[in-house]
Amino acid sequence: MFKREMKINFKNFMIWTSILIGLFLVVFLVYPSIVNSENMQMMDEMMKIFPEEMLKAFNMDISSIDSAFGWLKTEGFVFVLLITGIYSGLLGSNILLKEESDKTIEYLNSVPVTRKKIVITKILCGILYITLMVVVIGIFNFIGLSLSGDFDRKSYILLSITPMLSSIVIFGVCIFLSTFTHKTKKTMGISLGIVFASYFLNIISEMGESTEFLKYISIFTLADIRNVIINVSINPWMVVLSVAITIAFMMLTIIRYDRKELV
Amino acid sequence: MGKNILEIQNLTKYYGKIKGVENLSLTLKEGEIFGFIGPNGAGKSTTIRSIMNLINKTSGKVLIEDKEFHKEDVEIKENIGYLPSEIYLYDDLTVKEMLDYHERFYKKDIHKRRIELVEKLQLDEKKKIEDLSLGNLKKLGIILAFMHEPKILILDEPTSGLDPIMQNVFYDLLKEEKAKGNTIFYSTHILSEVSKICDRVGIIKDGKLIKVEKMEELSKKSLSLVTITSEQSKEIEKDLKVNIISEDANTIKFGNNLSDDELIKKLSKYTIDRILIEEATLEDMFLHYYQ
Repeated sequence: MFKREMKINFKNFMIWTSILIGLFLVVFLVYPSIVNSENMQMMDEMMKIFPEEMLKAFNMDISSIDSAFGWLKTEGFVFVLLITGIYSGLLGSNILLKEESDKTIEYLNSVPVTRKKIVITKILCGILYITLMVVVIGIFNFIGLSLSGDFDRKSYILLSITPMLSSIVIFGVCIFLSTFTHKTKKTMGISLGIVFASYFLNIISEMGESTEFLKYISIFTLADIRNVIINVSINPWMVVLSVAITIAFMMLTIIRYDRKELV
Repeated sequence: MGKNILEIQNLTKYYGKIKGVENLSLTLKEGEIFGFIGPNGAGKSTTIRSIMNLINKTSGKVLIEDKEFHKEDVEIKENIGYLPSEIYLYDDLTVKEMLDYHERFYKKDIHKRRIELVEKLQLDEKKKIEDLSLGNLKKLGIILAFMHEPKILILDEPTSGLDPIMQNVFYDLLKEEKAKGNTIFYSTHILSEVSKICDRVGIIKDGKLIKVEKMEELSKKSLSLVTITSEQSKEIEKDLKVNIISEDANTIKFGNNLSDDELIKKLSKYTIDRILIEEATLEDMFLHYYQ
C-alpha cells in the first residue's frame, strides 16, 4: 500500500518541486548579472523608500539582497515556505480523502487492512514527500549557492530545514480537516485558505506591536526564519511545538477516521 | 444445516432521522446461498454496508462465526469476499497490477485461484482499468471478491452488467463455492435469479425484514393470477375478498390463494364473460404477498 501511495503521489511532488527548482534556477542564472555595484546602489536607494515594518516583514532589515544567499534569506525562503506550505496543504487534504472521493474506499475497506494502517501509511507517505521536497530544494540551492560564491553553510542548512516545521503542521491540520467530508473538492479551497491566511497573519504580526498577537494564530510562526538569520539557530521550542501539534493532529485524524462513515 | 456463519442481530441504522434499516435480525448457515431481495431504497445496501463496517450502526451487531465483527478484525476480513453493486477501482492501474496489488493484502498464496478465475471469466489482464467496459469491470470485481477463497461472499447486485453467457459462468461459480461449503449473501432485485440459485430468501421492505422463507416453501405456495370479465365484477371482488392487482371497467385481475376447484365453485353463482387463470411467477408472488 505504501509503495502504491508513493507512486500515485509522485507526479504532484515532481510538479511542485519543479516549480521551486525552476524559480531558483532562474535566480541563480540571472542574479550574478544583477548584482553589480551600480545596480546594488540603485537597489539600496529603492529599499530606503519602503517603510521599516515592510522591510522587517521580508527580513530585509537584517539581510541584504547583495548576493544570491542574501536574496534567498529574504524573498527566496518566502517562496519556499509558501510553496512547500501549499503543497503540504493540498497533499494533506487529498491523500486520505481521495479514496472516498474516488469511491475506491469500498474496495480498500474490504481487504484485510485496518483503518489505522490506512491512515498511518498515508501520513508516512505524505511526510516523506514533504521531507523529500525540502531536501531536494535544499540540495539544489546548496549547489546553486556554492557555484555563486561564498555563503554561511550552517545558516543555510538551518534555513533550509525551517520550512519543514510549518509544512508538517499544515499537512497535519489539512489531513485532519479532510476527515470531516467525503469530497476532495470541499477541502482543497480550505487548505489553500489556511496557508494564505496563515502567511498573511504572520506578515501582519511582524509589522508592529499592536498586531504582534496575530503570530500566535499563524502556522508560519513555527518556521521562524528571522530567528534563524539573526541567531543562526532554530528555536528548539518551535521544533517541539511543531512536532507536538503534528502528532496531535495525526492522532485526532486516526480517531476521527476510525469513527467515520466511509460512504 | 451447519453452523452459524453470518449473524445479524437487531441491526438498526438511522441517517439522522431517516430510517435505513430497523431491528433487522438474520442468520446465515454454513454452505447456504441466501437471497436478499427488496425494491430499490428498501435498505439492502445499508444492511450490506453495515455488515462491512463502512457505515456505523445505530445499534445492533454483526457476528461472523459467532465472533462480533469489528472494523479492525483483519482476520475476519481475510475470510470475506465483497462485491459492491457499483465497482470503483484504481483507474491508473492495469487489471494485472490491480490483481497483484490485491494479492499482497493476503497472507496466503492466492495466485493459483486468480489464474483460474481470470481464465474462467475471460478477462484480459493487460487492459487498463479505466478502459474496461461495465461488464469487464464487474468481472474484475468478481475475481477480486473470489480470489482469496473466502468463506463468506457478500454480493450486491453481482450480475448487473454481465451478458447472459457470463451470468451462467457466474452461477456455476456460485455452485462451486456452495459445494465447497462457503456461504453466500446474495443481494438482488432480480427475482428470477433468486429462484434459480438461492436456498432461502429474505425480503426487505422499508428498512424491515418482512419475511424469511425457504425457496422450496415459497415455490410451493399456490398462487395464481386470475383475470375475470363480468358485469358482476364488483360483487365478485367483495365476495372473494381479493387483492386487486388491476381493474378496468368490468375486468378485474387478482392474486388467488384458493385451489382452482374452490375458485370455480365460488364463481359458479356469477355470470362470467371471460376467465383466465395463470400460474404466478416468483415476481408476482413477491408483489402479492409483500407489497
